Amino acid sequence: MREDVAVEKLLNVVELHGIDRRDFLKYCAATAALFGLSEFEFTTKVAHAVESASKKPAVVWIEGQACAGCTISLTQSLYPPAASIVLDKISLRYHGTVMAAAGYLAEEALDATIKQGGYILIVEGSIPSADDRFWTDAGKPGREIFEAAARKANAILAVGACGSFGGIPRATPSKGIPVSQALKNANINKPVVNISTCPVHPDHLVGAVLYVVVTGKIPELDSKGRPAVYVGEVRVHDNCRRRAHFDAGEFLKDWNDPKQKNWCMLEKGCKGPSSYIDCTVRRWNDGISFCLDCSGVCQACGEPIFYDKVTPLYMAEDETSKRFLAMKKSNSSGQEKS
Amino acid sequence: MAKRLVVDPITRIEGHLKIEVEIENGKVVDAWSSGTMARGFEALLTGKDPRDAPYVTSRFCGVCYSVHQLASSRALDAAFGAKVPWGGNLIRNLVMGAEYIYDHVLHFYQLSALDYIDIMAVANYTGKDKGLLAVKDKIVGLVKEKDTYPFTPRYEPDEFSVKDPEMVTTAVKHYIDALKMHAKARDMGAIWGGRTPHYQNIIVGGVTSYPDINQVFRFRTMLDEQKKFVEEVYIPDVLAFGTGPLWPLAEMGLGGGHYNYLSYGDFQLDPGGKEMVFPAGVITGLNPADIKVARVDPEKITESVKYAWYKEEEPVHPYNGEQVFDLDKTNAYSFVKAPRYDGKPMEVGPLARMIVAGNPDVLGLVKKGAKPGAVARHAARAIETKLVVDACYTWLDQLLNEMTKPGFKIQDTDHWDPPDSGMGAGFSEPPRGALGHWIKVKDKKIENYQAIVPSTWNASPRDEKGVRGQYEESLIGTPVPDPKNPNNIVRIIRSFDPCLACAVHIIDPNTNEIRKFIIE
Repeated sequence: MREDVAVEKLLNVVELHGIDRRDFLKYCAATAALFGLSEFEFTTKVAHAVESASKKPAVVWIEGQACAGCTISLTQSLYPPAASIVLDKISLRYHGTVMAAAGYLAEEALDATIKQGGYILIVEGSIPSADDRFWTDAGKPGREIFEAAARKANAILAVGACGSFGGIPRATPSKGIPVSQALKNANINKPVVNISTCPVHPDHLVGAVLYVVVTGKIPELDSKGRPAVYVGEVRVHDNCRRRAHFDAGEFLKDWNDPKQKNWCMLEKGCKGPSSYIDCTVRRWNDGISFCLDCSGVCQACGEPIFYDKVTPLYMAEDETSKRFLAMKKSNSSGQEKS
Repeated sequence: MAKRLVVDPITRIEGHLKIEVEIENGKVVDAWSSGTMARGFEALLTGKDPRDAPYVTSRFCGVCYSVHQLASSRALDAAFGAKVPWGGNLIRNLVMGAEYIYDHVLHFYQLSALDYIDIMAVANYTGKDKGLLAVKDKIVGLVKEKDTYPFTPRYEPDEFSVKDPEMVTTAVKHYIDALKMHAKARDMGAIWGGRTPHYQNIIVGGVTSYPDINQVFRFRTMLDEQKKFVEEVYIPDVLAFGTGPLWPLAEMGLGGGHYNYLSYGDFQLDPGGKEMVFPAGVITGLNPADIKVARVDPEKITESVKYAWYKEEEPVHPYNGEQVFDLDKTNAYSFVKAPRYDGKPMEVGPLARMIVAGNPDVLGLVKKGAKPGAVARHAARAIETKLVVDACYTWLDQLLNEMTKPGFKIQDTDHWDPPDSGMGAGFSEPPRGALGHWIKVKDKKIENYQAIVPSTWNASPRDEKGVRGQYEESLIGTPVPDPKNPNNIVRIIRSFDPCLACAVHIIDPNTNEIRKFIIE
């Protein structure tokens, strides 16, 4: 099929979901640029992924010790819409919160897909290491379901803080471990894409899934296994619009004072100096806001230190925060020398 | 001879749930409900800075995100002695209002609709509506490609499944539209919540987000779009289904249960809380002809652990609750505890709220012959969504008025630091029903933390007297003509909108032997 015809067909599909063609093309351009593909190349690759729909890549989504927040993040995607991802770009064989089937039918769908192999495995949540009985499905330990699914997967994506690094469950009596560790424990030697933050950022998730769908490869990863395009060398603190107030030694003390509205949140426990995710530039909820915009504090939820090493959340008691506050006192520019 | 049937996992809910029933002569005669995943949040919180609790407990659940952030903040408000300024309350109400609208729409379309429609009926659509034809082409395309995931596999449609091509095709179109609408509702909440799931702005004493006038009008514009969808799509769809093809299920009262209802009350419409969107009240043994609503006394709440995997103890008030696990306890089958009000199991959620409130639309359906049950639950959910939409307009007007006054406040700055000691309870009415958090503070740290969440009430196991929980009781008498396709069981359970990550925020091992789908 000619590529321009394929693109036209894709755009018809896009319109079915009530999306403006230009918006979709803009999205493709932005995503393509991130992954270093030309816009036309990316769009046609997506188009072919749609065209050969009967060969849509199979996806298995397993929820372990999770809160389904990352699933809700998937449905946050408007451009492209979640429905077009689920119906046009992938063949979603198993997802407990989405699928029609329940009980033995759900179990059979999973077993059949695992037997076939070659799918993308997405794991939301951690895997309990203290006792298998902390997570069971269909009468089996969830750990066994996870291991069976991982053995036959072509690509493994761990989503959210829990799946990527253990997150909050890591600090509980159930001792949740990240996907990477659970693979090691089972002697499964496969790379994992850690799409961290609590919950996963919709753009990070959708971008990583589309990258695997389009290229058949996993994206380039940083030293912590995260897609490098979404994790910078720059701290949230350095990219923060409150940064000038940090430099000026202005720290928010009273949420009721409109003058302090944009002041630095460090004294309220902000972990922006420890966080390297692109939230400040990407923002959340279709660009409407993000944690620091509502004068909430960054808790470095995309970093391995979350949660047990950032508590107390609303205090600057960890080493990095203390160092940055002390630096403020000794160096008026606030720049950390590397 | 009774047949044993296990549905595990129950899908299209939040979390991991197993339902086990005994069937005799085509009807359910006994039932057991157990969650199958746990993390252990309360133990994690002990010894932490109390201000961590709203942030951490928000992660009980990412579907009904931030409902725990609010209840937890209210528990802290009480323990710290903080007084939330009216401006802070208004913003709390508005972000929770946005959460409600998204959550109820998601529940009907994404989590429940597939239980009531034969999706393949779209192939028979013969109308000319362009939007519906596009849906037909899509679904027929999936069938031709032999790849109809995630709509199949499925339980085979039964006599109650809607098969009218236009109705089904419209429902599938709205399924796709709803995905976009509830994403936008979450965006609306993020204006002050920062982002979703898991808002960042609800803290002890109020909120962090100092509002500006642009945000108020942005929220209002986004609310207009939600209102249109709720009034013109969601409510008509639910009523068309409920009073049309599903009316026999409504009349049958499928999934009724104990007919006990509890609402803590929530969503103040004035600073004094004289007027509430959802009034508080408790009803035992509903008699629709003579509804008696009693005042709620939180001291009457206890939790039983007789059939839960905890160290044996007498039923206690949540302030004194303990979590000492006993994974090998005989007869235990769930780590959901069994909360009781005055010793009785309760249903919480939209139906409970609307009956307690004496809502004329819901009671009107009951007068027409709909017995409180699965179908009425969907109707109550849709009807109260409209109440919340309308209240959001009121709160926006009030906020605009409030924020232009001198000395406008959103947080109680004087009570930000934890007290040396204190205790407090925080109650709320999130989408799934009555929610309570209880905290004890000692030496500025959390000494004890307990939460009784909506799905703990609804999904509870038997109590020390052997009385079934609400899911279990609501299954009794349910027709299951074909055990391979137990449509009615999943219809009932999903009508409660289960949230198991919430209910089993403690732990839930499964010590039963491995059992498959068994028909003995």
